[in-house]
Amino acid sequence: MSEENGQEDAQVRVITPPHALASKVRAGGPGAVDPAALERAEQVITNMADDYLNWVQEDLRLIQEAMDELKSSGGDNQVAISRIFAVSHDIKGQGGSFGYDLMTIVGNDLCRLIEYSDNPDASMLDVIQVHIDTMKLIIKNEMKGDGGPEGTRLLKGLEMVASKVKPS
Amino acid sequence: MDLNQLSILIVEDNLHFRNLIRTILGALGVPRIEEARDGAEAIEVLRGFPADVAILDWKMDGVDGIELVRRIRTSEDSPNRFLPLIMVTGYTESSLIRSAHDAGVNDFLAKPISAKSLWSRISSVIETPRPFIQTTEYFGPDRRREGLPFKGKCRRKQAPVFITVPGSEASH
Repeated sequence: MSEENGQEDAQVRVITPPHALASKVRAGGPGAVDPAALERAEQVITNMADDYLNWVQEDLRLIQEAMDELKSSGGDNQVAISRIFAVSHDIKGQGGSFGYDLMTIVGNDLCRLIEYSDNPDASMLDVIQVHIDTMKLIIKNEMKGDGGPEGTRLLKGLEMVASKVKPS
Repeated sequence: MDLNQLSILIVEDNLHFRNLIRTILGALGVPRIEEARDGAEAIEVLRGFPADVAILDWKMDGVDGIELVRRIRTSEDSPNRFLPLIMVTGYTESSLIRSAHDAGVNDFLAKPISAKSLWSRISSVIETPRPFIQTTEYFGPDRRREGLPFKGKCRRKQAPVFITVPGSEASH
């Protein structure tokens, strides 16, 4: 994109790109996305919640497997830590889409916790395991939304546990 | 707005998340949807699939979302340097968001996604196309959002040159 002289290099080009999108999209029509269509699309996601409960079991199995490896190495296993982070990040990104907001919250908390410690000691390992156990409980009890009073209790408990190992 | 003429590429390494996005797009009436599992596969798919929009994950094994954006925007053999790119991410750190903007992403979609949030990003890309900016350091959508103050370092020392790419006139 550079020109032959430096003067031209410093210049900004404002380009109107070919905009094929607008010519392909019609306003209105029988297939138009309106509030009713959006509600139908949201309902399709809601109907996938049962599928989510199945596949999240695999995520929970994988995260526990990585956790067991991390524990057996005394916390010194970067590959296992990365896997725990990656699965937790997936759980964070998916739970809320299917109504499992608590999974998104706990997944996010676990990601943040792992970012604090790349070489977890025994206390940190315990706290990570508590987060994983909490995610298992949320799924086992199918705690959707905020989980009601039980969900509030779980999150408060996690916060207290995490505050003991996080640097202030 | 009717999306039944659109072709959309999903670039995501998580099978379940790919299925979720595909399901939403299908429910919104998008008829042609292709998938790729990472950035390298996405480039290959784009050579035979003229996508109108790409929805790509940030964190992928192999060629990740940021690198894919760079390749699409700056590679000599890019299939479409102007392709609208919506990045899906669970990351909210401002430094990461800035690096994606600097690579040339059009918009972000925060996880967890919903039909409404995905639709809002697609409709935004369609309804408010931004001009592209070309400098020695950047090629991509104008990062100065209309109506918003620009917070970055001002590098526009000279009057810009305005260029219209053939094919853009008909749509305006």
